Amino acid sequence: MKKLNLSLKNPIVSYIGFGGLLMLVPALILAGVLRNSTLTLVASVIFYSIAALGLNVLLGWSGLVSLGTAGFMGLAAYISAYLTHDLKLPFELALVAAVIIPTLIGILVGFISLRIEGLYLAIATLAVSEILRKTFEVFDFFTGGYSGKPISFPTILGFITQTPANRTLFPILMYTILVIFLVAVMILIHNLMKGQFGRALNAMRGSEAAAQAMGINLLKYRLMAFGLATALASLSGVLYVHFIKYTHPGSWTLALSLNLVAAIIIGGARNIYGTILGVFVVFAMPDLILKQIPYFGTIPNFAFIVNGILIIIVIMYYPYGLIQITKDFKKIWLKLKERFS
Amino acid sequence: MNDLNEQTVLSISELSIAFGGIKAVDNVSFEVNEGEIFGLIGPNGAGKTTVFNCITQFYKPNHGSIRFKSKQGQTVELTHHKSHEVIGYGLVRTFQNVELIKELSILDNVLIGGHIDYKTGVVRQAFSTKTAKMEENAYRAQAIEILKFLGIEDRKDWLVYGLPYGILKKVELARTLMCNPKLIILDEPAAGLNDTETLDFANVIRTIRDKYHTSILLVEHDMRLVMDVCDRICAINFGKFLAVGTPKEIQRNKAVQAAYLGTEDAA
Ligand SMILES: Nc1ncnc2c1ncn2[C@@H]1O[C@H](COP(=O)(O)OP(=O)(O)OP(=O)(O)O)[C@@H](O)[C@H]1O
Ligand SMILES: [Mg+2]
Repeated sequence: MKKLNLSLKNPIVSYIGFGGLLMLVPALILAGVLRNSTLTLVASVIFYSIAALGLNVLLGWSGLVSLGTAGFMGLAAYISAYLTHDLKLPFELALVAAVIIPTLIGILVGFISLRIEGLYLAIATLAVSEILRKTFEVFDFFTGGYSGKPISFPTILGFITQTPANRTLFPILMYTILVIFLVAVMILIHNLMKGQFGRALNAMRGSEAAAQAMGINLLKYRLMAFGLATALASLSGVLYVHFIKYTHPGSWTLALSLNLVAAIIIGGARNIYGTILGVFVVFAMPDLILKQIPYFGTIPNFAFIVNGILIIIVIMYYPYGLIQITKDFKKIWLKLKERFS
Repeated sequence: MNDLNEQTVLSISELSIAFGGIKAVDNVSFEVNEGEIFGLIGPNGAGKTTVFNCITQFYKPNHGSIRFKSKQGQTVELTHHKSHEVIGYGLVRTFQNVELIKELSILDNVLIGGHIDYKTGVVRQAFSTKTAKMEENAYRAQAIEILKFLGIEDRKDWLVYGLPYGILKKVELARTLMCNPKLIILDEPAAGLNDTETLDFANVIRTIRDKYHTSILLVEHDMRLVMDVCDRICAINFGKFLAVGTPKEIQRNKAVQAAYLGTEDAA
């Protein structure tokens, strides 16, 4: 019997530990240390991180660009909302359907555009997500149109529902589900990217010629990468709508897709913690920090400007993303330890 | 399609390809035998790399046939296949300008060469099941074995980015050895090596042939290496076939001498 490796150096253990850390947020809220709104803020970092991790498989590992992440997220959100709220289907079933349907559409779009060239994926996904957004506005029997679609918390496993008695606990249960999904996605992506599949994506990005000479079918692996990215975008959309309990066409615009791309560039391409750091910087920092800054905080689109500046800084000084900074800290820490021991 | 005879592993006949009017390869034919180290030589721009690109289906020739005796024992017309299918038949190549993934370690780069032999699918890889882990470890061990053989095992975890050219060439060579090939095509494998390293390299090539039971087809500008290591050589110039024969025959060949000295009329 091999001993279980429980050190934090084992990535799987560290991901589970990270999940535990995220569970401190509701604990601190219950203890009165953090405000209630923090739960929604961290939850949004979690569901956007799931979409961003999928996009990183595409952008970071495979070197392909999708500008349609928001469209697929939105489609999944509306499908899941419709199935649970209007058709009263079980949440678990809706989740599966709302991941599968956009993914199949994504693979079809990918198949048509990727046969031509990798770059066409960006154009095709942009077009499809704009069409989807228009659909969200127009088909109001399904989406609620411009007024959006409010829903209630789902029934979990067919019997756990929100009641007046568990009013405060139910959001925490939903949050816990988000955390479990995030940790699972982190582990699965880690496993995939360090093995044969991940190397194939790396090869595809690094040298198409080498990839082909080594037997990697470019179309097949591009489609797999895009399928995975779309599936995770869809999962993210489902978790979004059931946590926020509302979806609106304005939530699924090109700006969101671009923000997700920015998160990966800022946080770190091909890096799991880097992705989450990037999502935090892009999606949580504006509310947490920027808006508190006097004068500047009130400038409209100030967050966009900051993101732009951050991207430039990162590209110039941290080509592997802000997550590189942690390595710098480690180096300084080791030096200090050496000096004082 | 005719089957290849017993001793032939690769047969190229009447191969031609043109790029916008320039005939890069013009009616070239030669055959490589099982277990043979075969050289393809010619001055700069002669069309050597283009021949390699045609064999491995990166270019589709305008004319001619390329037959290969596959690992599975059948004769395959390679022009009917896609570039990513070629390795499955046991034909693998390196690139003149080194095609490696610079963000990956030497070991990971070599492991890409084992890509097609993996039996565990994506789902089992995602869940890192026991079989997936065992398979990955087995290929890791094989890759390390190859790196040891090429003398760069101590650097297996180094990123490829920024390593000297000679090492990169070796990593590419190592990558070809992962797939148990029948024929390895090497485009200037000794580029970036110094004189003593080039001498060693002749032995490496012979050892690969014996140890891995393969044939080797190589393009190389270092004439001492070519003459030392090759069993037979084909010389081309301006895309046209000049001669085929043993190193001695090629050295004595008037047309080849003229091509290298650059006297146009003799060629
Ligand atoms: N994709 C291409 N498009 C246009 N011309 C090409 C292409 N590939 C090769 N050529 C031309 O074909 C000719 C032969 O080139 P090739 O690279 O095969 O020569 P080579 O013998 O490998 O030379 P070297 O020893 O310099 O590597 C050259 O004139 C080159 O410019
Ligand atoms: Mg060449």
